[in-house]
Amino acid sequence: MPMHGFLGRLADALARQLLSWLHRRVEPGSREWLDALTAESECADDGWQRLRWVLGGVPLVWTINKRRRMNEPTRGTMRARIAPGVANIAAIAGGHAVIIQAIDVATHFFRCHLLFGNQPGGCQDHPFVFASIAIGGAVLGMIVALALRARFAAYWWAVISVFNTVGSVWYLRSGIVDLPRYGATQSAMLMAATFGAVLVAIVRETPWTETGASFLSRHRITAHLIAGTISFAMADFLIRMHDRHLVADTVSHYAVLGSAMFAAILAGLIGRHGSRRSAKGTIVRL
Amino acid sequence: MPRLPNTSPQTLSVLELLLESPRSWHYGYALSQLTGLKSGTLYPILMRLADQGWLETRWTEPEQPGRPPRHTYRLTGEGAKAARTTLAEAPPSRMTRRLVFVPGSR
Repeated sequence: MPMHGFLGRLADALARQLLSWLHRRVEPGSREWLDALTAESECADDGWQRLRWVLGGVPLVWTINKRRRMNEPTRGTMRARIAPGVANIAAIAGGHAVIIQAIDVATHFFRCHLLFGNQPGGCQDHPFVFASIAIGGAVLGMIVALALRARFAAYWWAVISVFNTVGSVWYLRSGIVDLPRYGATQSAMLMAATFGAVLVAIVRETPWTETGASFLSRHRITAHLIAGTISFAMADFLIRMHDRHLVADTVSHYAVLGSAMFAAILAGLIGRHGSRRSAKGTIVRL
Repeated sequence: MPRLPNTSPQTLSVLELLLESPRSWHYGYALSQLTGLKSGTLYPILMRLADQGWLETRWTEPEQPGRPPRHTYRLTGEGAKAARTTLAEAPPSRMTRRLVFVPGSR
């Protein structure tokens, strides 16, 4: 049923704004199909139909830009191969160097020692300081990696950020009562975070179907949550094979689940950032 | 096992429709209404078919003044042959029934 009145006009205005925005996202030489969709939008009976039609331009623009990137000849082959590797290595190594240096300065300043752990004189006498360094350093590493367009390094730092954040919360919540259990939980958290980031990176980068209309490609958040759940299940299963005590502890369970979910969401944001940059045609595929 | 190209239910429904009158030119809006596919699904399919040489495209003058030229589509000879083969070989489960029918093309 045609919808008239204010809402119809609003939808019509939105459709035209969206079309204008979509045109800005495609290079002039690649606009044939978007122009075709635009011309057909004039056939819509009312504003709502037009808006529904124009919304289809979003996946179309994504497809157009993806095809254009795939067809682009590689510019400066050696440089194109080496530059991303150097950016990734620099982002990972540089971040670690900063964190290690900051921890070193902090241990001198607070007159404590890393190896003492939670013993008197250990660094865990100052949990907030060292947690801030660990989390802040990792987040900074992720931001720098994104700025350098070093996507692999960004995912790497996402995993470390998650591990350090959840690990710090876990430690502050429960303390280190026995080291073997702590070690097992750490392993599970790191595994879950890694699985989460890797699965979501695969979800983001895989062309799901020839039409790009599969369930997972249309519901990214759901895809990320599914990836997080699968990561949690995988890490939990692997750790159960080695340390059955871990599974009896609810806090440890939450830490592992939190790591998987948090990593999946962070990795999704990194992928989204990459896609946005790609739409402008400026990203270097890593 | 990777899926063969152009065998998704959506692509099959487009091919089926284009084959009904292979020498006629079709508009995107009409194709969308007749197949029930949204524009975001239909246009990537048309793009791909055109890239593969199955579809020829042309711009036509608008029927009403003040409107932009329209893009129209029809199967090439090779495309029609390939579409017939693809539809014949497609498993019945992949075939979709068109749910929407709007008489005439705009």
